[in-house]
Amino acid sequence: MKNRIIKWIDQRFPLTSFVKHELTGYPTPRNLSYWWNFGFLAGFVLMLQVATGIFLAMHYKADVALSFDSIQHIMRDVNYGWLLRFMHSTGASAFFLVIYIHMARTLYYGSYRAPRELMWWSGQGLLLLLMATAFMGYLLPWGQMSFWGATVITNLFRATPFIGEQVVIWLRGDYTVGDATLTRFFALHYLFPFLIIGAVVVHLVALHTVKSSNPSGIDLAAKDNIPFHPYFTIKDLYGLGIFLIVYCSFVFFLPNSLIEPANNIPANPMVTPNHIVPEWYFLPFYAILRSVPNMVGGVVAMGLSVMMFAFMPFLDRSCIPGGAQYRPVFRVQFYLFFLDMLVLGYIGYIPPTSQSILIGQVATLCYFGSFFLIPFISKAEERWLIKRGLPPDVEALIASEAREKSKLPQRRRREDIA
Amino acid sequence: MKKLIVVLMLYCSTSPVWATDAKLENIQVDTSVSAVERGVDTLMNGCHSCHSLKYIKYRDLDTFGIDKKKIEAWRGDQPLDAPLASLMSDDAAMQSFGKIPPDLSLITKAREGGASYVYSYLLGYYNTPEGMTSNHIFPETKMPDALGISGATEPAQRDELQGKAHDIVSFLAWAADPHEEERHRLGYYVIGYLVVLTLLLYIVKNQIWSRLK
Repeated sequence: MKNRIIKWIDQRFPLTSFVKHELTGYPTPRNLSYWWNFGFLAGFVLMLQVATGIFLAMHYKADVALSFDSIQHIMRDVNYGWLLRFMHSTGASAFFLVIYIHMARTLYYGSYRAPRELMWWSGQGLLLLLMATAFMGYLLPWGQMSFWGATVITNLFRATPFIGEQVVIWLRGDYTVGDATLTRFFALHYLFPFLIIGAVVVHLVALHTVKSSNPSGIDLAAKDNIPFHPYFTIKDLYGLGIFLIVYCSFVFFLPNSLIEPANNIPANPMVTPNHIVPEWYFLPFYAILRSVPNMVGGVVAMGLSVMMFAFMPFLDRSCIPGGAQYRPVFRVQFYLFFLDMLVLGYIGYIPPTSQSILIGQVATLCYFGSFFLIPFISKAEERWLIKRGLPPDVEALIASEAREKSKLPQRRRREDIA
Repeated sequence: MKKLIVVLMLYCSTSPVWATDAKLENIQVDTSVSAVERGVDTLMNGCHSCHSLKYIKYRDLDTFGIDKKKIEAWRGDQPLDAPLASLMSDDAAMQSFGKIPPDLSLITKAREGGASYVYSYLLGYYNTPEGMTSNHIFPETKMPDALGISGATEPAQRDELQGKAHDIVSFLAWAADPHEEERHRLGYYVIGYLVVLTLLLYIVKNQIWSRLK
């Protein structure tokens, strides 16, 4: 019976061949480490946010007079409303944490290099969509930080040449952040996740064309690839278990640590909070914005700081495989960049003093410097490594993989570009 | 590399807490029914004349297990689903204090330092040399010294007021997050379940991967 149903479907829809091609027969490098779990986790958090968000929308009211009260209604009166709301608010932080680790892995192992540039750029687009969605969602509780955060950030669009003033009014739907802003942000906050899902499909189509990168940075021959299912489905599920333990510890025991106290005060356009701070995931970029004394310059620097990642395939043209794995200088650069992000995050968090502004400016210079210096440093490093020779085991791996590939001409990875 | 995750986790878990200038006295709230009942009793006989708790209904107190007779006395002829509105009108408050006293439903969540802030604030009143009353934690406050801590000199009296403040803050902490206890209780089951599930997944994963040579 089961076979007959599947046969019936297969004549009309490529079910069996799809499952075979993308799952049970999809070749995946066997040497992937746990750092390769985070793409799957990001997809999981996306689904979690969509699911909790839809149920929250059933009880939420997008109206300046009602929205703060409706959140309290969800938190107090709706059955397990507190759970939905804390899952969603913690989920936003979890999403950025997972995405940042996913990006850090890509940077560390050089996974953005040919032929995976389009994956990297679709990921960059996803990051922008995620940031926009998170920013608009943050307005919805209509607390003090929601209101003032949205006011500060929409105000930045004044930097648009010639039509700045109009753009700000167009974004807000009013001269100030108000009811029109709240209703449009709610509409867009509901729409954007579906755009994200569309972009994720593009990201995955690109992935299944070029296949996963791996820690060695060398395209592996057929013998070193294993089917995605069951090996990586179970590995991803195990990783998901670990992730859920961390996530649920926050949801059940520390959910308020991720919500600014000032956001428990209803929005009041007449009272500015002492200190307006964005959520932790925007802090490094916020620090870059504040480091430039000129507003237009700050906006350009902040925009560029997010977009810098897209230039990585052009900046890093070293022919040494394996990203930071076999490139000591690049590895040091990676850790310094990570440290710089932490410094920027801290500077973005504390109230500005003349000293902290100076540290922020130095850290901003380091941020952009670590991108612009890559072409020069990586070329010098490449010359040095070629002269010195790669470690013998790497040379042996490259040689054996090349042998393997010439022996079994593209048995499994037929479409592989390598 | 594992260290990086730990650092990142610490980094995001500590970020929203920013200390105020004055030193707060750190306290643990006591959300037992008896402490909350003592707290709401003090609050209804004092704070409630100016402050509202608009997200708390008389029915919520009843559900939590506060003495029914007391609730009846407080609510008078108001329905059980009425919120704890303040006894003072906004106009009268503006006349007396120049501002409307804040609603207290979320007050322990709405201040940096949470319950410890409110506790330290309530006990932060002192007499200035000029004979005025001021507050260490929030000098600009318009609220008079409701507990009378600034005039209390006897250690026994101060201890009693500290106990009172602690009970009020315990009630306010419950009011700000009434599902906290339920959340924690459920949380232990969820985490326990996940630990067992993850362990099993780990075993299955090792078993499946052992098929590879």
